[in-house]
Amino acid sequence: MSMYSLYLLVPLAPLAGSLLAGLLGKKLGRNGSHWVTTLGVAISFLASILIAQDVFAGHSFNGTVYTWLTTQNVSLVVGFLIDPLTVTMMLVVTFVSLMVHIYTIGYMHEDPGYQRFFSYISLFTFSMLMLVMSNNFLQLFFGWEAVGLVSYLLIGFWYTRPTAIYANLKAFLVNRVGDMGFLLGIGLILAHFGSLDYATVFQRAPLLVHDTLSLTGGTSVSLMTLVCVLLFIGAMGKSAQMPLHVWLPDSMEGPTPISALIHAATMVTAGIFMVSRMSPLFELSETARVVVLVIGASTALFMAFLGIIQTDIKRVVAYSTLSQLGYMTVALGVSAYPIAIFHLGTHAFFKALLFLGAGSVIHAMHHEQDMRHMGGLRKYMPITYVTALVGSLALAGIPPFAGFFSKDAIIEAVRASHIPGADYAAFAVLAGVFVTAFYSFRMLFMTFHGKPRMDHHTQEHLHESPAVITIPLVLLAIPSVITGYLYMEPMVIGHYFGDAIQVLPGHGGLEEMRAHWQGVGEFIQEGVLSLPFWLALAGIASAAALYLKWTHIPALIQQRLSGLYTVLDNKYYFDRFNEVFFAGGARCLGTGLWNVGDIKVIDGWLVNGSANLIGRFSQRLRRVQTGFIYHYAFIMIFGVFILMSLWFVKA
Amino acid sequence: MIDFSLLIFYGFSLVLLAAGVGVITARNPVHAALFLVLAFFSGSGIWMMLEAEFLSIALVLVYVGAVMVLFLFVVMMLNIDLDRLREGFWKHLPLGAGVAVLMVVEMILVVTSRQFSALGREGSAPAGVGISNTRELGLVLYTDYVYPFELAAVILLVAIVAAIALTLRRRKDSRHLDPSTQIKAQARDRIRIVSMRAEKDH
Amino acid sequence: MTFATPNLVPAYPEIFLLVALGAILLFDLFVAETSRFLTYAYTQLALLATAGFLVLGATGSVLTTFNGMFIDDPMARTLKLVGVVAVALTLAYSRAYNQQRGLYRGEFYALILFALLGIMVMISANHFLTLYLGLELLSLSLCALIALQRDSARATEAAMKYFVLAALASGLLLYGMSMLYGATGSLNLGLVANAISSGAADPAILVFGLVFVVAGLAFKLGVVPFHMWVPDVYEGSPTAVTLFVSTAPKVAAFAFFMRMLGGALSPMVADWQSMLVIVAMLSMLVGNVTAIAQTNIKRMLAYSTISHMGFLLLGILSGSVGGFAAAMFYVVAYVLMSLGGFGLILLLSRDGFEADQLEDLKGLNKRSPWYAFMMLLIMISMAGVPVSVGFFAKLAVLSAVLDAGMTWLVVYAVLMSLIGAFYYLRVIKIMYMDEPLQTEPLVAETDHRILMVLNAMAILLLGVLPQPLFDLCTISITHSFHG
Repeated sequence: MSMYSLYLLVPLAPLAGSLLAGLLGKKLGRNGSHWVTTLGVAISFLASILIAQDVFAGHSFNGTVYTWLTTQNVSLVVGFLIDPLTVTMMLVVTFVSLMVHIYTIGYMHEDPGYQRFFSYISLFTFSMLMLVMSNNFLQLFFGWEAVGLVSYLLIGFWYTRPTAIYANLKAFLVNRVGDMGFLLGIGLILAHFGSLDYATVFQRAPLLVHDTLSLTGGTSVSLMTLVCVLLFIGAMGKSAQMPLHVWLPDSMEGPTPISALIHAATMVTAGIFMVSRMSPLFELSETARVVVLVIGASTALFMAFLGIIQTDIKRVVAYSTLSQLGYMTVALGVSAYPIAIFHLGTHAFFKALLFLGAGSVIHAMHHEQDMRHMGGLRKYMPITYVTALVGSLALAGIPPFAGFFSKDAIIEAVRASHIPGADYAAFAVLAGVFVTAFYSFRMLFMTFHGKPRMDHHTQEHLHESPAVITIPLVLLAIPSVITGYLYMEPMVIGHYFGDAIQVLPGHGGLEEMRAHWQGVGEFIQEGVLSLPFWLALAGIASAAALYLKWTHIPALIQQRLSGLYTVLDNKYYFDRFNEVFFAGGARCLGTGLWNVGDIKVIDGWLVNGSANLIGRFSQRLRRVQTGFIYHYAFIMIFGVFILMSLWFVKA
Repeated sequence: MIDFSLLIFYGFSLVLLAAGVGVITARNPVHAALFLVLAFFSGSGIWMMLEAEFLSIALVLVYVGAVMVLFLFVVMMLNIDLDRLREGFWKHLPLGAGVAVLMVVEMILVVTSRQFSALGREGSAPAGVGISNTRELGLVLYTDYVYPFELAAVILLVAIVAAIALTLRRRKDSRHLDPSTQIKAQARDRIRIVSMRAEKDH
Repeated sequence: MTFATPNLVPAYPEIFLLVALGAILLFDLFVAETSRFLTYAYTQLALLATAGFLVLGATGSVLTTFNGMFIDDPMARTLKLVGVVAVALTLAYSRAYNQQRGLYRGEFYALILFALLGIMVMISANHFLTLYLGLELLSLSLCALIALQRDSARATEAAMKYFVLAALASGLLLYGMSMLYGATGSLNLGLVANAISSGAADPAILVFGLVFVVAGLAFKLGVVPFHMWVPDVYEGSPTAVTLFVSTAPKVAAFAFFMRMLGGALSPMVADWQSMLVIVAMLSMLVGNVTAIAQTNIKRMLAYSTISHMGFLLLGILSGSVGGFAAAMFYVVAYVLMSLGGFGLILLLSRDGFEADQLEDLKGLNKRSPWYAFMMLLIMISMAGVPVSVGFFAKLAVLSAVLDAGMTWLVVYAVLMSLIGAFYYLRVIKIMYMDEPLQTEPLVAETDHRILMVLNAMAILLLGVLPQPLFDLCTISITHSFHG
């Protein structure tokens, strides 16, 4: 089979699965549906492996698959760009998706919307693959919107729950804000670069570095900065960066498998991927990178704090996702794109693992998500416990787990960077390490250790989850352990990405890291002796002290620091602010516009007025059609006369 | 000589125009049709002067001889309400006449333009003796112009088909005999002998 | 004088069609009233074979024959094929309708094929004479078709109007052609173009002739102010004939425009461009605005046609190869939509019930969701809503106009299509939101239903993937007008 057909197979296999399960779900039955979709994703995963081998043998591909429409200036095409960056994403997406498919068989087996769910997650896989494999902005945008759509559908999967509907509406609206920026960015690119093709745009970018756009009031802004910031606004929406992060915690209303697949491992990393893909543009605007850095650092730290006080197990993982996405964004800000992708990959594995582990617990607890009603599950669910421990260690950044490498690399890169804002970012990511270790082990201890706090009935029925749930956990735990060790050197230090990612000389700490690189072993040794490691250990120790030993202290702290607690409990009042300011303001504005604008001006004058006018005009024109043939003939002659006279007047 | 033919030309032209005006102003449709015949005759005369003898004679034969006679028949057979036709004539006259006058002015401007007046001055050389107009026409008609000629034939065919399709009616209420069916008729088709059980009186 | 036999190969489709036509006329004489289906099948077979001749004989190059009066080029092949397909669909859609209304006669099929022959002659005309003869062949056949339902006073009236006005338009056209002949000394389109660009002809006479030619052409296309026949003929004719009038002849009219303006009179683009701007603007205005006040679907679609033809002119008036290709795309898209629209009305009609009032569509969704959905597709396509072929047709012509530098005209056209969207959406509203007035079950022939579905799907599919058709149009036009 030629490589070209393999490329096509990767997105089309999940699409076929999705269509079969979605359209013929009733005929295929539950088993048939999960088979076709899982098989589709498995094929896609295998094809991705083959493609990856081919790409690392040096065969990249950039070409058009189908020309949708050609106009004089722009051609709208479906095309693939297959390079190391793409295949990395393809592997991550298809692997996690495959695990989630298998896991879902067990997790959702009682749900009436079984086939629909499989259809959605396969459709999501297709969209995500189209997004990452794209070689042009149009297809990128298509994938972007498609994953957003499926995410919206899945958050509201249990559409009878009002909270789920609220959450998916919120996700939809917040993402629209991001997409607006994204679309404007693409529009600017089309207008100034004259193309939507990546290669062409990147090629023309250096020529347009000094172009400016004049705004009203005589000020002007650098074109490249504006483009990058607008694109990044899109990334902020999708990758849940402050202040567009508010939808992600609420998205936990969806079933847990999709929290793992979409809201932890793949879709939310689309923003990170997109910025990395656009590295040739971002490299040309320092202002844009500073924006990226500051927003990423703030998200990394402040969202981590929120993780501390959550009692819902999924929300802890959700806030940790926000925080980790912040880390990736920080890496982007200091031009360490390879490290961002590296962290993206390791994070995808251990975060999916944590989510699926949480799901396993929730499943065992009969859909109880409050950690205050758990405890001591270690005995009942050994496999889930071990895998969750692996995930937590990886998240906390303890060597030699995967998270250690990627997180330490980010911290190193930030320290070595001299871009404005790097000091703030360095502080944020360091402090974040302590907080991350603290909340992840707080979760682990509250769930698996201590005395059981659930009611008697639940305790009696506690048992390890079935194999379809535990096998994906184990399969995800393996890369959570080893990928860091294996890929640290090639991905960060070596030229893994080739030309896919461009870093201009003098940007960021990647060069310095490469200069001082002595090997993975040395890196671990250095890591163990450095601050982050001890901060992480301190975090774990504090968690152990507070949640294993002196379990009455947390409540005391909460009482003493009630002011701080209230701020955190209200998530820094982001939601409140949005609700009062945006939602309330919009409602006020809407009511006002409705009363004055809509009813009076638009309905009264414009719509009814113009409709009346056109209607009256229409009736009058209709009367011209008298039915008398000599009238018709006269009108024709008159037409000739008018045309003729016009030309006589002209001549 | 030139002056004499010019005189004839103007004569024909005047009659042609007057006849044309007559067609549209005559109260009686029969008169209008007769005016049209006159116009055709004048036109044919002008063609004759242009040495287009074939066309000239064809015009008289076809239009005057066939079409107009048929037309007269129809007009005479139908009872046309003249007053209804003329209804609104005076109401619409100012606008119609205005447009017509302006168009005539524009047409005159064009016709008296440079190129056409140049054509008039040069004139065309008279054809030599012994050249048959009909023969020349026939030669090009069946060679160079065979395609349009065939097309014209197809149009005539359409006209025939259309005329039959639109006018031929098989009246359902008229009784007519079909000899062939009469001959074919056989006894067994007409009567059936049914043997019935004889019933006895009680 | 020797006579060289002309090269007949490029004209094989026409010759075959004429021969088959003669055979059908004879054949039908011997076909019993009850087995009229044979005539129908034979006609479809003839159309299929004609299409075969068209496709197989395509050379991709420009050939002339019959002393330069007949031209065969890629545009001609494509447009003839569209015409043949349109006629074949017309016949299939109208079979049941004709059976119920006494139109199931050999003459109907013969006349439609005669009209098709006229269309093909026009498409391939390279000479004023053949253009005119093709036009008359078409007009005469159409006129007879309209009047074919002899006992219908409305049909007779419509036929009479069409006949008289078409005669007037022909007169205008001939007058214009004679002026052009006078100025250039030739009837051959190519020679006329040469004579004009050489500058020997008097521009005043040329423009004078041009005005009349444009008027005659505009009548055929049915654009304002030469549109008055359109609503009356559409409404008065039997729906089967309306379906025909609104489809294939438009292809011929487009070809006529292309041959005349894009070919013979191309050096005068500046003159006819502004004439077409006026005519197109008026058409979009009158068509869209008047359609709003209609209660009869056929009449509404007549006005919609007028506005569509205005849009079509936008492509032609941009005067570029891109614009011509866009216009060609538009005419194909329009034929497809019009076939669908009238085809659906035929599908809904029964013996003694024409289904031609807007209120007949009320609650169609409740009676048959499938039919309602197909009508929905057709309506959104006519309105030019994205993901329908109508959208891309409008987009293509508008971008051609934009390239020609007439931004204001684009704005105007968009505004007009917004007004137009109103009455298309009203149809959708009636189908989906109102309660049905009738409850009779909808019955239709299987072939009609299948073809309708294919037709509607084509509208959708070409909206998603317009490129192949667009390429076909672009290639046809480029190969026919440049090289």
